[in-house]
Amino acid sequence: MKVSLFITCLSDAIYPRVGEAMVRLLSSYGVKVEFPEVQTCCGQPALNSGYWDAARASAKTLIQAFEDSDFVVSPSGSCTGAIHHYYPTLFKDDPVMLQKVQDLIAKTYEFSQFLVHVLGVTDLGAHFPQKVTYHPSCHGTRLLGIKEEPLTLLRNVQGLELVPLPSAEDCCGFGGTFAVKMAEISGAMVAEKVDHVLETEAEVLVGMDMGCLMNIGGHLHHRGKPVRVMHLAELLYEGVKQRV
Amino acid sequence: MIDRNDGVIRELVEQAKAREGEFLDGLARRLNRGRITEAPQHPFRGAPDFWRGYELSGEQRVELFMKNWASLGGVVQRFADEDGLSDYIADVALSLQAKYLIRFDHPLLEGLELENQLPEVEMTVWQEDATEDLKAKAAGADIGIAVVDYAIAHTGTVVVASGGNRGRSVSLLPTAFMAVIRAESIRTRMGEVMEELQKRFGHNLPAGVHFISGPSRSADIENDLTIGVHGPGIVYALILDN
Amino acid sequence: MSHGGKATTVQDRARVALNDDFLRNAVKFTTEKLRSQKRVATDELGNWEEWRERARAIRLHTIAHLDYYLSMFIENARANGTHIHFAQDAQEAVEITMKIAEAKEAKSVVKSKSMVSEELHINQALEAAGIEAVETDLGEYIIQLAGETPSHIIIPAIHKNKGQVAELFSEVAGETLPADTKILAGFARAKLREKFLEAEIGITGCNFAIAETGSMVLFSNEGNARMVTTVPKTQITYMGMERIIPSLDDLEVMATMLPRSATGQKLTVYMSVISGPQREADSDGPEEMHIIIVDNGRSHQLGDPEFQEVLNCIRCGACLNVCPVYRHVGGHTYGAVYSGPIGAVLTPRLNKDDLETSGEVSMASSLCGACFEACPVKIPLHDMLLYIRRDYVQEGIPSKMEQLAFKAFEHTVSDHKRFKRAVKLGRFGQMPLVQGGVIRAKFGPLKGWNSYRHTPALPAQSFRESWRALDAELQGINVEMEADMKQRLQEILAKRRGT
Repeated sequence: MKVSLFITCLSDAIYPRVGEAMVRLLSSYGVKVEFPEVQTCCGQPALNSGYWDAARASAKTLIQAFEDSDFVVSPSGSCTGAIHHYYPTLFKDDPVMLQKVQDLIAKTYEFSQFLVHVLGVTDLGAHFPQKVTYHPSCHGTRLLGIKEEPLTLLRNVQGLELVPLPSAEDCCGFGGTFAVKMAEISGAMVAEKVDHVLETEAEVLVGMDMGCLMNIGGHLHHRGKPVRVMHLAELLYEGVKQRV
Repeated sequence: MIDRNDGVIRELVEQAKAREGEFLDGLARRLNRGRITEAPQHPFRGAPDFWRGYELSGEQRVELFMKNWASLGGVVQRFADEDGLSDYIADVALSLQAKYLIRFDHPLLEGLELENQLPEVEMTVWQEDATEDLKAKAAGADIGIAVVDYAIAHTGTVVVASGGNRGRSVSLLPTAFMAVIRAESIRTRMGEVMEELQKRFGHNLPAGVHFISGPSRSADIENDLTIGVHGPGIVYALILDN
Repeated sequence: MSHGGKATTVQDRARVALNDDFLRNAVKFTTEKLRSQKRVATDELGNWEEWRERARAIRLHTIAHLDYYLSMFIENARANGTHIHFAQDAQEAVEITMKIAEAKEAKSVVKSKSMVSEELHINQALEAAGIEAVETDLGEYIIQLAGETPSHIIIPAIHKNKGQVAELFSEVAGETLPADTKILAGFARAKLREKFLEAEIGITGCNFAIAETGSMVLFSNEGNARMVTTVPKTQITYMGMERIIPSLDDLEVMATMLPRSATGQKLTVYMSVISGPQREADSDGPEEMHIIIVDNGRSHQLGDPEFQEVLNCIRCGACLNVCPVYRHVGGHTYGAVYSGPIGAVLTPRLNKDDLETSGEVSMASSLCGACFEACPVKIPLHDMLLYIRRDYVQEGIPSKMEQLAFKAFEHTVSDHKRFKRAVKLGRFGQMPLVQGGVIRAKFGPLKGWNSYRHTPALPAQSFRESWRALDAELQGINVEMEADMKQRLQEILAKRRGT
């Protein structure tokens, strides 16, 4: 049984602790995680900007990396969503690659999906006595349909007070290159998202996508707000370490 | 001058007829096929099956219609007989200080003898062979009275088909509009009305079939709701049992 | 404000909008109101997903057989006395209109809401010929007086406050009117009624055309569409050629989806099914009726599997109301007739010969997919935006700098060793910029991003650099997977392999 980690370029370069938390958690259930280093990036930055040759070049590293894997797990709803939703279109004119893409889709999961649906784990016995609010990333919810899984996992954490985020389904304004190209509009969107986060008076903002979290966290920091921003894997891992 | 103008229109129409083939052929070409001559299968016609099963009893329909019409800001009343209806209309006309009324040329309305009840009022009847300018009369009327063809409980709607003795202006131009509804003409769903219209008229509908749900409204000025913008702001649904 | 696509960029227009507090509050308030009203209405109806599937199926079917249904419509419309015309583009539609107007010796024209007429800029053409063209939809009347374009498909003047409306109306009235909605609406009612009664021609749009009966259908709340189709002697209707449905039965579905999606109403106050000019016995309704079937770029979507579905659109505006970009900047930022997500797709698609100008607006989206979720006929607008961006790049339109940047990206990500080196380089290059673990510098590519955020510094080791140590550590710990979990995984694998 080969379970491979799809780390994503963001987590690899900027947030390695997210990958570490994921691997440690999975390992505690006896899942032997492998890291095929041929992978680089899912290609979304190029895909979203219209540079599909570049996106294909990037995608090929993933297809190659996970060719022999039985399961592929990723800390990103958006990267996983790109594979499931856009890779078939990206390779629609290449029947050989298209078949490999279908194989990859069948075995690739976002982290909370993997825990809940593959491992069958909904309660990790974690203890995290803080006020937490959850941001449901657009691609994870709309492209992958991840609605309940993160909430289920969070609700089973002892001591955790989960407060609903107002207008949670509204985009945080990241959109990859959108945040750079349409900086002011993106700035307005993230400001509104942060206003909602602050409304909850939560100590921690948790999510399933480092793109969103980097965006929201970056603005929180800019406004000098001490809300802690964590990936679901990081929160669960810390909660498990604090197990009473 | 008139002839030349008519000639222009005729020319445009002929030009269009000449172009039609090429226009439609172009669409078929883009769809990568030739023109279709036979009716395509249309298995999704109309509302989903589960919706067609939605049917309320006669009494439930009346109640639901009344509830919906009222929630839209219309006035709704129910009458056991024509006398009650006639008295009510007369009372409303008096309270609104209405001077000009206009109504369909319809036996039910004829039977209400409103002219007797309201001698001070000028009542215009929308007749096929009227000599007066009916549109102008409607525009100047305080109240327009129609007998509607159907009503829809689900949406709180009355349905009026136009005709020689039932001008569409009657439900549009006056300040207030009264829709007289025979209780048995109230249906649960719009689809039922569509079926009946098709049964009655085939593919040859009257020039105007109007579905009216309450008083005219707009929220265009700073999201403030205004009632009675171009159409009647005061609307009555008067349901006659029997 | 003109459809300023050439003089200004999307970013320029967005900046203007973002600095207009009234506009932002008005747009936010309106879209949230409409959004929540839609939710109430769809919850009340129930089975919304099944209705969506049905509406989508009807539209897909109709568009796939567009030539057939249009042909049926034309035959039945002619049978009830309607004159049919074809306009390949805006210019032809304007020519036909002007010929009719001239033949009718029209001095004034009253218009009910028509987005197609905005595509044609017909008001300008009429005014140039000395014919007064009066918008009678209250919101359209307001922006006409202001010399502006609509900022929302359903509620065109949400960017105007009561005071501004009072000013505009006061000029027409020749006296000062108060900023009171009832009085202002009352003024419009009286003023426009004069116009209805004196106009020679009424011009309308067309929400739907029914093939089997040769009818056109108008949805309205104010009653102006009814006035325009009842009072003037001649009626001209602009019909986008895709606005067609097979039968009255199908109209029930559209009548269920459109008002609920647009404003949360069960039905608009008026739904008018008009089948030709007045009959012999009638004393009202137009004596002559013309329907101009307009292409203007629509046929270019046919036969293209990526874009044909955009013709499903029933112009409800639900996508505008859920779009986070639209909510912040309003309609004028899109710089074209159609705004919001549908506008971001239609503008480039209806103008695909000039993608350089028209394609820019497709970048004003974070691709969140809320539009697709909201669309009553399930148009995958979020996918279409991506395809448009791809076409934009394929035509070589982006700046040389951007193209180079992505060439560099391609180079880096196509080989993991290069990727690893690039991260190392970044770690080195960021050193002078890092303070307290974050980068605040606002220059170059970081300028826009860092105007609103602090960027985290690249940590000392990337994940892949630390993997060997982590892997070694975990190899030392020997946790055995529980039997039932193992079985779960094996079952999933077996199912996948079809064994």
